[in-house]
Amino acid sequence: MSDLIIQILAASMLLATPLLLAAIGELVVEKSGVINLGVEGMMLIGGLAGFIALYQLQTSTCTMLIGDVCFTSENSVNQFQYIGSLLVAALVGALAAALFGFLTQYFRANHIAAGLGLTVLGAGLSNSLGGNFFGVDYTAAIVASVPPLFPESWGEVAVLGPLLFDQNLLVPFSFVMLIAVWFFLSRTKAGLVVRAVGENHHSAYALGYPVIFVRMMTIMFGGAMAGLAGAFIVIAQIAPKWTEGITVGKGWLALALILFSTWRPGRVLLGAYLFGIVLALEPRLKAIFSNMSLEVSYFLTALPYIVPVVVLVLISRNPVMIRRNAPASLGQSFEPRS
Amino acid sequence: MIRFVPRTQFGFWATAYPLLLALGITVVVGFLVMLAMSEQPVRDIWTLLTFPWQARTASVQWGFVLQKSSYLAVMAVGLSIGFRANVWNIGAEGQFAFGSIFAFGAYVMFGMPDTVWFLPIMLAFGILGGVAWAMIPAALRVWANTNELLTSLMLVYVAANVLNYVTTGPWKGDPKAGQAESDPIHESLRIASIIERTDFHWGVIISAGAIAILAFVVLFTTFGYSLRVAQNTPRAQKFAGFSPKMTVWMSFMLSGATAGLAGAIFLSAETGKLIQSENYLNGLGFTAIVIAFLGRLHPVGIVAAALLISYVNVGATYVQSASQVDDAVADLVQVTALFAVLGTAFLSRYRIVLGTRDLSTEGAA
Repeated sequence: MSDLIIQILAASMLLATPLLLAAIGELVVEKSGVINLGVEGMMLIGGLAGFIALYQLQTSTCTMLIGDVCFTSENSVNQFQYIGSLLVAALVGALAAALFGFLTQYFRANHIAAGLGLTVLGAGLSNSLGGNFFGVDYTAAIVASVPPLFPESWGEVAVLGPLLFDQNLLVPFSFVMLIAVWFFLSRTKAGLVVRAVGENHHSAYALGYPVIFVRMMTIMFGGAMAGLAGAFIVIAQIAPKWTEGITVGKGWLALALILFSTWRPGRVLLGAYLFGIVLALEPRLKAIFSNMSLEVSYFLTALPYIVPVVVLVLISRNPVMIRRNAPASLGQSFEPRS
Repeated sequence: MIRFVPRTQFGFWATAYPLLLALGITVVVGFLVMLAMSEQPVRDIWTLLTFPWQARTASVQWGFVLQKSSYLAVMAVGLSIGFRANVWNIGAEGQFAFGSIFAFGAYVMFGMPDTVWFLPIMLAFGILGGVAWAMIPAALRVWANTNELLTSLMLVYVAANVLNYVTTGPWKGDPKAGQAESDPIHESLRIASIIERTDFHWGVIISAGAIAILAFVVLFTTFGYSLRVAQNTPRAQKFAGFSPKMTVWMSFMLSGATAGLAGAIFLSAETGKLIQSENYLNGLGFTAIVIAFLGRLHPVGIVAAALLISYVNVGATYVQSASQVDDAVADLVQVTALFAVLGTAFLSRYRIVLGTRDLSTEGAA
């Protein structure tokens, strides 16, 4: 029984990490007064970019190539190749976000429309490029698994082993980023500027802060984090293959997390792990109660999307509470008064 | 130096020229994409632009275009009503699925009648299904102040699971089929083609009728006017005596109804049976969102955008079968068009002024 609990906790860490990464990025974006609904699209593009990068890095060190499947000597990639592909994913995510940034900040497009457009772009582009990117069909490609951060024997230590040591690099990274973002937003001058831009862009502009520039930076940061989250899902979670629409709404869950957290970093963590546990429970409950009725089985599959709705309802009932930490200029285009 | 000065007068030209600019950008980018992806760009571009006349039977190709655009346009017009008032229903895909499920449910419930007279009842139940599913985010919005954008989206995934459940559970048809699917409905309930052997069927006419009714509501009634007030000055909506809650209810009801109608027509005209979600839902509800924005939320614009995008889509599929070009071209053109329209929209609100600041020419901004 305790084995099962450890298993579920370890799995929920794996499932919560991409939500946490994407939500941290979007938190900073929204704190600067921009609402980017394109998280799902940036995750899809970033995920595919990371997958392609890892495949290319891996093939460059292939010792044997059978068809499109590559076998390296250890049949695994090293940590540097993994980090390299993550950087590519972050960069591509940031570029996709920059497109959104140009549209909303310089061309004053509607944030919601442009964000939805970015999601459509991400879905369409990743589907078509994944099937044929410079002649390679990446739906058939297979990447080797990413090695754990610590020696494998550490991961077998009872109880704490799987939770602490048998984890992907990005799991501790997500915690570091969470603390860094909390510190940045609440304890630094630059973070104060970001919040000022989000609360009242006219005042911030009058004080001499470059509103548009600050927002472009936060938007690109959010894109990079979403790209990382997508790459994590593709490479660490669902590996070794890439499929179309691989994030199945995780980007939207990250957006729901922001509302759940009422724009406070600590509660982003809480929410991400709550959703993570729900996601981790579903396949295990199905395995344990293998004779459950069809109704219950499909209800469990839909549960990761029902829980956010219920949670949002509970959290939103009190409009004062949810608005208390919300940036006042959220979703408004900045038009300098001349 | 380039500066943007708010317009004080809005003429026809102020609306028209940003759209022409967006069209120009889309055409240029589309050509560049074709240049990059095609080995014989000139021939392929020509094929893409004139494909109905290249094919053996032009009427078949036009049938595809009309059929595809009718689904997109009717759903997009429904969605645009809410979008005008900042009510964000992005779950049309789920409401589409429920339209199909309710239509099939009515068919089963009434003992699988084998008469064409049952078709209107099936379509009515489809509308009912779409409305019922859309009422959930609307109710949560009105009663629990919950963000309708996220809840309506989440419910798409729930609806897909419901569709999977009914096709593997209660309404499971042929177990030997390669996919989970229901039994087919009677031939008499399949919407007939108007022109033989084309996809131009009576469902297209029904959709067109729904679009006409909604266009009238939006453009010529007090309710439509209240939406326009809500869009431009949210506060004035209250002062004018229009209830924001009513706006949410009506927006979701109308957009759910159109998506449900589209779902029921799709069931009757295209598949004739329910199929598991992966093979049944093909993103029409999401594309409709893009179409709504492409048409600048105006019924006339939406119909034009739906026809244009469907033309490119069907054309890209045709070119793909004829040569090596991937039909991703259609996706890219669609998104380029969307971003071009969104990116140029501000030009209808601002004048571009060259030169240094001249206070005498500026309005009170």
